[in-house]
Amino acid sequence: MTDMCADREAAGTPCSRWARRFGRSLRRHPEMAFGFAIIAVLLAMVAVPGAFTARSPIAIDVAKGLQPPSAEHWFGTDDIGRDIYARLVYGARVTLGTVAGALALSALFGGLCGLIAGYFGRWTDLVGGRLVDVVLSFPPIILGVVITGILGTGVGNLMLALSLVYLPVFYRIARSGAIAEAACTYVEAARALGYGEARILFGHVLRNVVPLVLVQYMILFPLALQIQAALGFLGLGVPPPTPDWGAVLEQGKNYLMFAPWISLFPGLFILVSALGVILVGRAVQRMIDTA
Amino acid sequence: MAHYLIKRLGAALMTALLASLLVFLLVRAVPGDIVAQMLGQAGDDAAAERALRRFFGLDQPVWQQYLSWLGAVLQGDLGTSWTRGTPVTDMVLKAFGVTLQLGLFTLAFATLLGVPLGMLAGIYEGRWPDTLVQAFNLLALSAPVFWVGLMTLIGASLLFFWSPPLVYRPFAAAPTQNLQIMLLPVLSLGLLQAAAYSQFVRQAVVSALHQDYVRTAIAKGLRTRVVFFKHILRNILIPLVTFMGLILIQILGGVVIIESLFSLPGLGRLLLTAIQTRDFPVVQGGLLLIVGVAMAINLLVDVLYHVIDPRTRAS
Repeated sequence: MTDMCADREAAGTPCSRWARRFGRSLRRHPEMAFGFAIIAVLLAMVAVPGAFTARSPIAIDVAKGLQPPSAEHWFGTDDIGRDIYARLVYGARVTLGTVAGALALSALFGGLCGLIAGYFGRWTDLVGGRLVDVVLSFPPIILGVVITGILGTGVGNLMLALSLVYLPVFYRIARSGAIAEAACTYVEAARALGYGEARILFGHVLRNVVPLVLVQYMILFPLALQIQAALGFLGLGVPPPTPDWGAVLEQGKNYLMFAPWISLFPGLFILVSALGVILVGRAVQRMIDTA
Repeated sequence: MAHYLIKRLGAALMTALLASLLVFLLVRAVPGDIVAQMLGQAGDDAAAERALRRFFGLDQPVWQQYLSWLGAVLQGDLGTSWTRGTPVTDMVLKAFGVTLQLGLFTLAFATLLGVPLGMLAGIYEGRWPDTLVQAFNLLALSAPVFWVGLMTLIGASLLFFWSPPLVYRPFAAAPTQNLQIMLLPVLSLGLLQAAAYSQFVRQAVVSALHQDYVRTAIAKGLRTRVVFFKHILRNILIPLVTFMGLILIQILGGVVIIESLFSLPGLGRLLLTAIQTRDFPVVQGGLLLIVGVAMAINLLVDVLYHVIDPRTRAS
């Protein structure tokens, strides 16, 4: 990154400033590098799970059930002889994918509604505010349990539940951002120039609200991951045999004393992923704060 | 103050009403009600289906079902369980007793562990106690709570050759057994919340340390202990109360998983079973109680806020 920007350093372009700030931040908070490394490995796992393991996540081999970790099966096998490591590697796509997708949906719809409510105010704000209050009056995990419990298991329902849980948070963030922006002089100036409200909102206000929503996305990701895993653990997530971290953890619950590795490793995967996202999220937030 | 209270109560009631409607519609929005489940074993029988629907009140239009349910709820009657035939009010309140004990124990544990840790980290900002506490916070906030629960079970049996009793008994009937069975759930749920606490308190202490009034207090030669307990702690109290409310609501949600993991007959497990068996009155009653409690906590926090900080009363 630094090389790419070196020739523009003298001019002090935004790119070089970001690179310098990134370097300084990395020196001051070395744990940040750890976070970026975790995210990189996870992304690779999502993109090409086959590169991490040659085994199938769903191949059953009952004769090799409940084997402890070994050179052959790094994280051991479950009750019907499936390789835990392979299930976790392939599970990354399912688990992280549902969380990322659900939060993206949530950010899109919640953010858009919040943007409109904050910018235009009046009845849009009133209606939106009431609806959001209703959703917020449920503890998040309860809402997830009720929705997936009633609608049934499956990736679609799981994502619907997760996105609904976090919709109000994005709504509120975008709303407060839009309110603050609407009071700015540049909005007044654009209006004086005869720009339409829609053009001001989507051409000017929107790009100032997007960073707020993105930071919120990173803050919510580890929380949503916990809820996703919890729903999988309660048997309300992705139906078997699809590999999912929470589901693998739940499977191990019944063999806790003879085969603790079944539950141990998926929990570690969730922990490390959440840790990585938290560290990177903090880094991003620090960079925006000091900008 | 009275004016504020009335306004706040009115808004809460409005939200509660909408929430109850949402709950009601949610459980009815799906195919596969209890009649279908019961008839699934008996085969197709139109007459039996009609009779069953009338028995459960499912033959009426939805709005009528809602109004009659709401009317009963306002009189404290949550209906009768469709699978067990017992009054929902009794079931829900009995289960809530377990959840309440778990919640309060967890809150106490999290406060006693998290607040001192956060203060320690805040005072030693940037030095090794701070680093240690922050590492603990990060790990505890990243770990899934049910996984921590499982690991405490394994740890207790491997290290101490101990496992909790299998059957829940209320505190009044068997205090030691009750406390034994509560130990691991409180520990696993509490560690996470303690980390949230400590992170929050650390931030509050650090920002207070950079305030002018603290600098003045130190400059005029007050002892560190006095500055800390008389100046900083008092100012942290206000945000801490708000945060406590948030934590309580978090715990209220977290118990669903912990209760089903440790087989505690609390509200969360009752709700989960009721959803699986499509026992609508129990789902509605349980959800209503949870939402009601969450709202009451929020309201209490707001009122406390006003009591502690006189400045907020003016606006």
